[in-house]
Amino acid sequence: MKAPGRVVISVQALCIHAGKDILLGPIEFHVREGGTLVIIGETGAGKSLAVQAILGTLHGSLLAEGQITVNGQRHDLLAPSTRANFWGKELATLPQEPWRALDPLMQSHRQVCETHRFVSCHSQHAAVVATNNAFGSLGLNGAEQHLPGTLSGGMAQRVAFAAATAGGAPILLADEPTKGLDTKRHATVVSLLSQVPDSGGALVVITHDISVARSLGGDVLILKDGCMIEQGPTHAVLDYPKTTYTKDLANAQPACWKPAKPCQSGDWVLKADSIRIKRGGRVLVDNFSLRLHAGERIAISGPSGGGKTTLLDTLAGLLRPANGEIQRAEHLSSTDIQKLYQDPPAAFPARVNLSCSLRDVARIHGVDSAQVACLLSRLGINSALLDRRPDEVSGGELQRISIARALTVRPRILLADEPTSRLDPITQRDTMKLLADIASDENIAILLVTHDIAMAKAWANRCIALSSPEEPLPPGGWGNRLDKAY
Amino acid sequence: MISAFLARGLQAVLVALIVSVFSFIMMKALPGDAAYRIAAGRYGYDMMDAASAEVVRKELGLDQPLLLQLADWISALAKFDLGKSLVYGTPVMDEIAVQLGYSLLLAAGAVLASLLIALPVGIAAGLRPGGLVDKASFSLSVFLRAIPFFALGILLILVFAIQLDLLPVAGFHSLEHLVLPSLTLGLGLATVSNRVVRDAVADAMTAEWRLFSRTKGLSARLTMLRHVLRNAALPVVAYVGVQLAYLIEGVVIVEAVFAWPGIGHALVHAIFSRDIPMVQGTALTLGLLYVVLNLCIDLACRGIDPRTRLSAREKQGT
Amino acid sequence: MHSQPGRSIRDGRRITGLILLGMLALAALAGPDLVNHDPARQSLLEAMQGPSSEHLLGTDHLGRDMAARLLSGARLSLFLACLSTITAALPGILLGITASWLGGWMDRILCAFADAVLALPGLLLVLMLAAISPGSWWALYMGISLTLWVEYFRYTRQRVRIVLADPAVEASQLLGLGPGTIVLRHLLPEIGPGLLTIAAFGAATAVTAVAALGFVSVGIRPPTAEWGSMMTELLPYWRESPFLIIQPVACLFITVLALHLSVGGGVQP
Repeated sequence: MKAPGRVVISVQALCIHAGKDILLGPIEFHVREGGTLVIIGETGAGKSLAVQAILGTLHGSLLAEGQITVNGQRHDLLAPSTRANFWGKELATLPQEPWRALDPLMQSHRQVCETHRFVSCHSQHAAVVATNNAFGSLGLNGAEQHLPGTLSGGMAQRVAFAAATAGGAPILLADEPTKGLDTKRHATVVSLLSQVPDSGGALVVITHDISVARSLGGDVLILKDGCMIEQGPTHAVLDYPKTTYTKDLANAQPACWKPAKPCQSGDWVLKADSIRIKRGGRVLVDNFSLRLHAGERIAISGPSGGGKTTLLDTLAGLLRPANGEIQRAEHLSSTDIQKLYQDPPAAFPARVNLSCSLRDVARIHGVDSAQVACLLSRLGINSALLDRRPDEVSGGELQRISIARALTVRPRILLADEPTSRLDPITQRDTMKLLADIASDENIAILLVTHDIAMAKAWANRCIALSSPEEPLPPGGWGNRLDKAY
Repeated sequence: MISAFLARGLQAVLVALIVSVFSFIMMKALPGDAAYRIAAGRYGYDMMDAASAEVVRKELGLDQPLLLQLADWISALAKFDLGKSLVYGTPVMDEIAVQLGYSLLLAAGAVLASLLIALPVGIAAGLRPGGLVDKASFSLSVFLRAIPFFALGILLILVFAIQLDLLPVAGFHSLEHLVLPSLTLGLGLATVSNRVVRDAVADAMTAEWRLFSRTKGLSARLTMLRHVLRNAALPVVAYVGVQLAYLIEGVVIVEAVFAWPGIGHALVHAIFSRDIPMVQGTALTLGLLYVVLNLCIDLACRGIDPRTRLSAREKQGT
Repeated sequence: MHSQPGRSIRDGRRITGLILLGMLALAALAGPDLVNHDPARQSLLEAMQGPSSEHLLGTDHLGRDMAARLLSGARLSLFLACLSTITAALPGILLGITASWLGGWMDRILCAFADAVLALPGLLLVLMLAAISPGSWWALYMGISLTLWVEYFRYTRQRVRIVLADPAVEASQLLGLGPGTIVLRHLLPEIGPGLLTIAAFGAATAVTAVAALGFVSVGIRPPTAEWGSMMTELLPYWRESPFLIIQPVACLFITVLALHLSVGGGVQP
């Protein structure tokens, strides 16, 4: 263990108010040279406000109290324009969803180069050389002239990292650095961020993802509803949580779920025989075979862009396969296959009350309102929520309502397309458990599509892995996907 | 690049066809015998008789089948032969050559005036959304937008030329005469474009990439110069393209209000006096002017936005 | 993000616009009967009079009652605006839905036709049509409807394509909901407000176009009372009695303003 360096950033009794409401705090932490602090909390827990308060970019209607000390200087006492002078030179930030933080009209090389040129005050030549080096070391060769819109999420992340750190700031604040990226890319982001403490800087990361916190190490600070409830070395806090919330959070990781037992197979309900799926001239899935049995839970995992959703739509009968055959069991009617969507608000008519949407479905299928109400209460939905529009309820609640809507038509098969990727870990665990219970209680077959391999393994009776589109192109298209059981 | 030229070229051909066919129908829809009327137009009512009408009929091919006449009519246009004015007897081309200059002067004055109004107001409003300038410019825009060009022209005449006796009202003798017509058109155009500027500036100022440019260390001035200006200019320039239709319509109407010796005035006058070669010539010129200005805007947008250029290059590559 | 006060101000504008529109509609329906004068009756002895109990808004250069002429002009403009809005909207919306639903050749042909209409600035097209038979009400009506049609078509086509590609529609179809329910729950709420805005703007454009053409002596001809031609007639007398020329200008302004306000202001691009 290295000797602890000096404290470079320290926050004491930081509170953020909106009028009389306290949105965040009080929180307190210190990060030393070569240190890492991970702030964990659910969506809406006010995590991002902490970064904004340290930077001095809080919205004008919010008020920050407490002490913020950077390199021994009290930043909270400085005028906003003076605080801006430290940006890039002492404090750097990696914003949420970096592809939106890059100027859409400027080539990526120039966006990094301008930091070297104007913040580090290099000559034009030296700035270009420094940028070339950064692109080389981050594996961005060839992306120099690309505009942000044509970069992949991971590449945009690295370009933003290069641009943010080019000013030489020893402190990096990263806000949800893994948001919107596949789990496969998380390791890359972690190693990118780890460069900061490894080279003697200080790293503050905000995330809702416990696995990211574990891989980054250092210290952790856990927030719930804006309050700091636990703090300490990451592994100590997560392995031996003191509060029930932290315990819940740690156990919500798919790796901690009780693994599902293989299913006693009944009759098959859906059968695919060596199908090939093409889209826009590209073969997405080839030679895919599947036999889905009543009450069975199957997970299909693979990276984004690998044709998972297209496969699901083909199985649902919404698209036709280029080759091969898909068969439904004979007793299935047209509404016996239902879908759950990744983005629940997009799956409901946007300008209509939820109760109205549910009533439409119930009426067509002759289900009376008492049964619907019973279903809703079983899924733990407060009926008062139904008077709202889809965008006025939380993602977790809406996903449960969409499950209720699908169950109203008494389907035999549920196809779930990343149904929890926009939900918090605890909500994710609860929703997935609910789906598993429904599968066994109602004898419904569920086909889950996810990019989260850990969740696929923990939840399903059987897993199928689709290969990555980034692998070299084998003859005949993107990979040879077989019905492979773990 | 080529595709932009092609699309606008196609539009130009379409404009020529529409104008030509309409003028032909106009010709045919005139009451009475066209040959007699044209002969009367040429020689005067006293001097013309059945024989001179017959000469005209032969000369213009008015005795041929209708479709053949239409083909003749269009092929004449394809040879850039716009014919002679029925009223003045001079070639339409010569008339238009004089008038076009005046119309372009007015259009340029109008665009300049609208930018001089819309840019400062829009930027001031966009920098402080919800502020005093924003609210005031919004209300004023709603009111001014409801006044059509010619009504605005009348109001400006009443205020400036009559009550204040500051500026000349009609015609064109010196640059002073340009002020009121361009102000009329410019004010009319600025009522919407100042809001476009405001939205563009407000969007750019709250964009995540602007904040990132600041937090990576660039000063407010550098951020403005290197990022905000270009991003905010794009929707504004694109909107100028949308406004071109209003500009052309406005030129026609405002010229009529101020008796401005341009093409729009000539078009209205030609329609009124049934001078069909002039109608065709002026409408065609205005239509082509619209196409050319649109092409300029297309090219300007491509110049500002590298995304269109790159995607075009990629398409060519594959 | 609409803060509460912002929304209430917008609602206020809408209500103001609707009230103004209602009053204009009443005036147009009642017409010149409201003031008991014949808009065409001349009386040179009474020319250019100021407002009086007999002539509420005075008389013009031929001694005709201004109030009666303005009301008659309102009837003409609003009737034409309503009619051309309906004539443009119905086929525009239906063809827009057809084009986006069917796609293929149908879509291409309709889009090509729309592009052809847009090749010229709208007023120029109306002007050309009106020139075929000058002073004809029908030419004006056809020309305005033809130019307005495109807007409905393009908007509907574009929005319906987006809505139909929405996962929500797919979900509804999987749940067994019929096309009627999909139109009612997905399409109408999504395109309804936009179409209303286009209709209000289109009606304002129609009123303006009628007046503009009247003003340049290509539209409806005198002695029919029409706001645009009234302006042309009264413009020579601006020095003696500016209040006369102001009247048709004010009527036009109030009508256009009412239409714009009824959909929330009209300066949002």
